[in-house]
Amino acid sequence: MSTFTDTPTTNDSRNGTMDTITTEATRRPRLGGMTWLVWRQHRAAYWTILGAAVLSVAWMVYQRGQMVDFLDGIGYPGTGVDNTNEGFADYQNAMMAASTGLQAIPILLGVFLGAPLLAGDLENGTAKLVAAQSMSRTRWLATKLGLTALVIVVVTVTLSAVFDWWWSPVKSEITVMDWTSSSAFDTTGPVPVALTLFSVVAGVAIGVVLRRTLMAMVVTFGFLVVVEIVWSSCVLSLGNIITVTTNKGVMAENSFPSLPGNAYQLDDSYLTASGDLLGWSTCSGSASDQARELCLKKEGVVGWSVDYLPMSQMNGMQWFGASILFALTAGIVVFLFFWGRKRLV
Amino acid sequence: MSDGMYTGEPALEAYGLGMRYRRGWALRDCSFRLPAGRICGLVGPNGAGKTTLLSIAAHVLEPTHGSISLFGEAPGSVESGRRTAFLAQEKPLFKRFTVAETLRLGRELNPGWDQRAAEEIVRAGNVPFEAKINTLSGGQRTRVAIALAFGKRPELLLLDEPMSDLDPVVRHELMGTLLAEAAERGTTVLMSTHVLAELENVCDYLVVVSGGGVRLAGDVDELMSVHTLVTGAKEGEGMPAALGHHTLVEARTSGRQFTALIRPEGPVTGPWETDAPNMEELLLAYLRSPEAPPLITPTAQVQGHGQAHGAGAVAA
Repeated sequence: MSTFTDTPTTNDSRNGTMDTITTEATRRPRLGGMTWLVWRQHRAAYWTILGAAVLSVAWMVYQRGQMVDFLDGIGYPGTGVDNTNEGFADYQNAMMAASTGLQAIPILLGVFLGAPLLAGDLENGTAKLVAAQSMSRTRWLATKLGLTALVIVVVTVTLSAVFDWWWSPVKSEITVMDWTSSSAFDTTGPVPVALTLFSVVAGVAIGVVLRRTLMAMVVTFGFLVVVEIVWSSCVLSLGNIITVTTNKGVMAENSFPSLPGNAYQLDDSYLTASGDLLGWSTCSGSASDQARELCLKKEGVVGWSVDYLPMSQMNGMQWFGASILFALTAGIVVFLFFWGRKRLV
Repeated sequence: MSDGMYTGEPALEAYGLGMRYRRGWALRDCSFRLPAGRICGLVGPNGAGKTTLLSIAAHVLEPTHGSISLFGEAPGSVESGRRTAFLAQEKPLFKRFTVAETLRLGRELNPGWDQRAAEEIVRAGNVPFEAKINTLSGGQRTRVAIALAFGKRPELLLLDEPMSDLDPVVRHELMGTLLAEAAERGTTVLMSTHVLAELENVCDYLVVVSGGGVRLAGDVDELMSVHTLVTGAKEGEGMPAALGHHTLVEARTSGRQFTALIRPEGPVTGPWETDAPNMEELLLAYLRSPEAPPLITPTAQVQGHGQAHGAGAVAA
C-alpha cells in the first residue's frame, strides 16, 4: 500500500511514475519492463535454483578441502589412492553423490522450469494478459528465454567448474572416476551447460505445443530420459578412435601395446598378416599353449590391434558434443519464435 | 448526427472477417464499422463468434479470412497495440501477484500508463493493494482487470463478457465505473454480452452477430426508429397480408394475438397497435430469427479500400 500512497498524485501521472522510479532506484538496483515481469513471475523458481547452486558449491568446496587434506596426509601422489582405498572411499562416495546430483540437473530443470515456463501462461490465460499490453509477444518470449537461459548458464557453468576443480587432483585415477562415464563426462566442461539448456528449451517447446502444464512436465520427463539414454550411447562416438597395432605376436608377456594413461579401450582383436582382424577368443579352446600357438600361427595372427580413446580427447569430445546440443537448442528456439508469432496466446 | 460520424475516424473496421476451425466456421463474412467514441454492444447467441471477433481485434487470434483494422492499422502493430486494451472473458491475471504488482505490470509494459487512473478504479472498490490476486472475490478481480485495462489509457477498449460472473449490485457498480471512465476520456468501447438488459441505457451503438454473420449494426437511435412493433388480432395463419409490403423481422402469435417486428417501408395502416420496440425486444427478435434480412445502417457500413466486400479479396 505504502508505495502507492507515497506516489505524489499530481495531474501529470507520468511525473508520479518517474518519482516512484527514482526513489526505488536509489534504494537498490531495479529491474524494469519485461525483465521485471518475468523475474517476478518466476522468482521462486529462479531463487530456488540459485540458492541450491550456492549451497552445492559451498558443499563441494568443503568436500574438496577434506579430500585434499586426506591426500596430503597419505603423501599422494607418492602413495596411490589404490593402496588406501578403505580411507579414500568416503571421499569418492561424496564425489559420486555430487556427480549424480549434477547429472540430474538437466532433467530436473527441464521438467520443473522448462515445461511450465510457457505452458503455465497458456493454460491460465496470462499469455493473453501479456499479449494485451503494449509490448510485443516476441519481446516477451525473448525475455523469458533469455532470463531463464542466463540463470541456467550461471548455475551450470559454476557447478561444472567447481566439480572439475574438485576432481582435478585425482583426475588421473581411473579407479576414482572413469572420464568416459557420464559421472565425469556429463558433469564437467561445457556438457552440463549444453545438456541443461537443451533440456529446458525442449521442455519449453513441449509446453508450448501441449499448452497444459502437468502433461508437458510428464512428456518432458519421458523425452529427457530418452535424450539421456541416446546421449550416453553417443558419447564415445564423439571422439577420434585411435587404433594401435603390434607385430610381436600375442602370446608374449609384453606383446600387448602400451596405451597412454587413462585411455579408454574400446576394442581389442588379433591382427593377421593379411590385415584382417580376428576376435581375441580365437583359439582360446586350445588344450595347451603349444596347441594355441599352433592354432594362432595357422590363422596367421601376428599381433594385436587395439582401438582406444586417450584422455587428451576428453575436452574436445565434450565441446563437440556440446556444440551439437547448442545447435539443436538454437533450432528449437527458432521454432519457438516462429510458433510464438502465431500461437502464443 | 450520422453524417458527422461518417467523416469521423473509425475505431474499428472489419472486412469480410472469418475464422474457420477444423470443426467449422466460428465467424463468417463479418463486415462492419465502429465509429470512434461510441459504446458499442456486441450481441449474439452463444457460439456466434463474439469472442472470436474480439480476440481477432485484440491480436490474440489470426483470422483465416478477411481483415480487421483498428484506427486504420492492423492488429498487432505497435500503434494499434498501444491504442487498444483487451479484457478477455476469463479475466486472466497473475494469481500470485498482489494488486499493486498487477498495476506495476501495467506500468512496466505500457508507455502511456496512467497510474492514478488505475489506482482510483481499484480504490473505489476498496480493494487492498497488498492483497494477492488469488485472495480476491470475483468482483474485485474484475475491478483490478478493468483498472489494468483503463490504466493503459486505451482509445479502444475491447471487453469480452466483462460482467458475466458478477452479482447484480457489483455489475451495476462496475458498469457505472466503466461508463464514467469511458465518457471522461472519449474511449470507444466494444463490449460483448448476452445479458440484453445490460445494454439498455449503456450502449449507443449495436452490432448483432448470429449464424456467423452481422445481422444488425448501427446507431441505437437509428435502429430503434426504423423498427415498429405491431400488435393485433390474429387472422388465420401467419402474417396479415396487409403487412406484407413491409420488411418482416419476426412474427409471433400467442392465443388470438400476433406480435410482429417490422421495418416499415411506408405508413403502417390497419387495425393494429403500433409501438416503438425497446432494445430488448429488438435484439430478441433478431436473435430468434436468423433468416430475417440483415440491417446495417450507413454509419456501420465499411466502404472502399477495395476489399470491403466478399471474403476472397482479403487474403492478403
